[in-house]
Amino acid sequence: MPTPVKFPRLGESVAEGTVAAWLKREGDYVEKDEALAEVVTDKVNAELPSPVAGRLVKILVPADQTVPVGTAIALIEEEGAVAEVAEEASASQSSRAAAALATPAVEQVTSAAAVQRGTSALSVEAEAVTAEPHDGQQPGERERQRISPLARRLAREHGIDLNEIKGTGIGGRVRKEDILAYLDQRQRSAQTAQVPAAAVAAQPRPSSVTVASSAAVAARGPEPVAAGPDEEVIVPDRMRLAIAEHMVRSKRTAPHATTVVEVDMTAIARWLERNKEEFKRREGYSISYVPFVMKAVCEGIRKVPLINSSWTEDNRIIVKKRIHLGVAVATDSGLVVPTIHDADQYTIAGLARRLNEVAQRARSNRLTVQDLQGSTFVVNNPGTFGTILSVPIINQPHAAILSMDAVVKRPVVTEEDAIAIRYMMYLCLSFDHRILDGAGAATFLQAVRAKLQSYGSEIDVY
Amino acid sequence: MTAVTYLEAISQAIREEMRRDESVFLLGEDVGTYGGAFKVSAGFLEEFGPERVIDTPMSETAIIGSAVGAALMGMRPIAEMQYIDFITCGFDQIVNMACKMYWRSGIPLPLVIRGPAGGGTHGGPFHSASPEAWFFHTPGIKVVMPATAYDAKGLLKAAIRDNNPVLYLEHKLLYRLPELREELPSEDYIVPLGKAIIRRHGRHMTMLTYGAMVHQCLKAAEQLATEDGLAVEVVDLRSLTPLDRETIKESVKRTNKVLIVHEDTLTGGVGAELAALLAEELFDYLDGPIMRVAAPDAPYPYAPPLEMAYLPGVERIVAVARQLAAY
Repeated sequence: MPTPVKFPRLGESVAEGTVAAWLKREGDYVEKDEALAEVVTDKVNAELPSPVAGRLVKILVPADQTVPVGTAIALIEEEGAVAEVAEEASASQSSRAAAALATPAVEQVTSAAAVQRGTSALSVEAEAVTAEPHDGQQPGERERQRISPLARRLAREHGIDLNEIKGTGIGGRVRKEDILAYLDQRQRSAQTAQVPAAAVAAQPRPSSVTVASSAAVAARGPEPVAAGPDEEVIVPDRMRLAIAEHMVRSKRTAPHATTVVEVDMTAIARWLERNKEEFKRREGYSISYVPFVMKAVCEGIRKVPLINSSWTEDNRIIVKKRIHLGVAVATDSGLVVPTIHDADQYTIAGLARRLNEVAQRARSNRLTVQDLQGSTFVVNNPGTFGTILSVPIINQPHAAILSMDAVVKRPVVTEEDAIAIRYMMYLCLSFDHRILDGAGAATFLQAVRAKLQSYGSEIDVY
Repeated sequence: MTAVTYLEAISQAIREEMRRDESVFLLGEDVGTYGGAFKVSAGFLEEFGPERVIDTPMSETAIIGSAVGAALMGMRPIAEMQYIDFITCGFDQIVNMACKMYWRSGIPLPLVIRGPAGGGTHGGPFHSASPEAWFFHTPGIKVVMPATAYDAKGLLKAAIRDNNPVLYLEHKLLYRLPELREELPSEDYIVPLGKAIIRRHGRHMTMLTYGAMVHQCLKAAEQLATEDGLAVEVVDLRSLTPLDRETIKESVKRTNKVLIVHEDTLTGGVGAELAALLAEELFDYLDGPIMRVAAPDAPYPYAPPLEMAYLPGVERIVAVARQLAAY
């Protein structure tokens, strides 16, 4: 059976995207991870890697068409189906030999394969989204969802991710009505989402809009705002709309509380002054305060793991064992937050290198699907714009977000009661008060500050 | 014009066809002087004479065998089985002679074998048979079973005019059921063989059924509508061979759930074939398992409480339909 290629989830808040161009034609052979198509969402332009090796038998979504995330956009007939069968056969032979051990053995193979397929748990998850029916058994068994043949077909036809659907049949079985209800809901939410945009777009020349026609439009939804004589209407692009939606949702979802610490960055500032140029010449990329803060954040998370968690819809807290730091990058078209996976595994120099890579990709619109997935905490750096205090909004579904503001020289009273000129920085942490309280947030900030202030005049960034 | 019973409709069909076509004649046990065990042919001997209304010895082999011979010679015999249970005595004449004749010789065999089938009349194990599955399985014979007076007449006329062997099963419980009385068209009409009819329209589930079970299903559908708000579609197959696959599939494609109900025993019954057909061709349209309500795999019982338990009824149909609806 052909493997459907699904439109990937490019970032947490992205609900739909456009196939910009097909890089392969029907009938072409593709390697696993070879670029199949260019996809565009409001967050990113990316190349879509093929989930499997095989022949592209059918393109389901033509170029320039916008579809919901999860929609099957192409079908790939896998090569080596025969080899897989053979493997399975030999596996079943050995399991017959080791009768009682058979099941654990198979499970081991499965988990080993899962680990192989992605270096992080989140990328495995991501793969499951893009290549769900790949490998036949494994993802299917993981989902092990009861579903009627009809519902399965409808889901396939409408590009629905079955994991998003809760069955109402006996034993939670997904039935026709569940799919239809889901489609109905999806259509309704799509309509409501489109109304303001459409209303604004329908009005390219505000000056020509008469009172009568705007009254007629009002019947359909919120009345489009007409520009006054000294005003201009900007129709937000998709990225702007997505950011707007995400910000509103975050504020509505999490009760934000913000707490601030002041950090003495003098040691790091002096080290940077002395080593920045040399570092750049040696390594080919620059280093700034940010990787130091990221490193310290990892330290803080180790002390207060709740900072790296999520509040779920069914009122549980999921603590993430791995630290994937999102870093906010301002681009011409808006804010993107690419992820540095397993940030705690890098040295400061390593973080600097990864930071440069993703920032460059972000600014050249070359972020990959991976880049935008799975962050667990965000470090924001408005300080580059000279701000000294910022109150950030949490990137859902995280527990908190850290803003680092400008490092500025200030007169400071030292431990010895002297007044000295030091390089000071405010770190602002907005946190989800459902998950933790001020004490926890402060403990985290203290740990971050302690780490940042722990450096002497010589810093080993490797 | 008066409303006629299912039995009178059968009687009318034979009489009208015998009047219309001289080659049509009736033979069987007690069909002449006695007018038939159920009085289907009462008055026929007087009207058509002993050459066209023939009382036979008590031998189904002889009845069917001579009917096959007569049909080969260009006649259109109607062979009556006094009870359809006894058809097994003539089994060889049907499956080896009648069913294969055209295949072997190229000579059409316009033969109708008819008789009272089905239970619910305290007939016990020898007078309650539902033999359709044996012949449904056998190529070369058409099998029909009307559920209404209109169909009883129209299907029988179509069977008599058909150039192939047709097994026409009359459900004896329906013979004189007052609620089945209906006024029939005064003009000549037939109900074509191989055409099912949707007795009740619905969108939540299709009940595929035939014979007396049509009425059980309609009652069940009514109960499910009032108590559960379920819109059940009831398809009366009327013809088992040829099977109206189009109507069946069209209905199931709309409702996505199927409950098959027949009075015959479960295993290897008509329902098994319907289920296989749907699973093969409409798998992607099914929103639940294909389910069956049928008699248990046991001989027909005599004791009335056992008979009640044995026959599929509204209660069981409703219970299974609910299970399927919730699936």
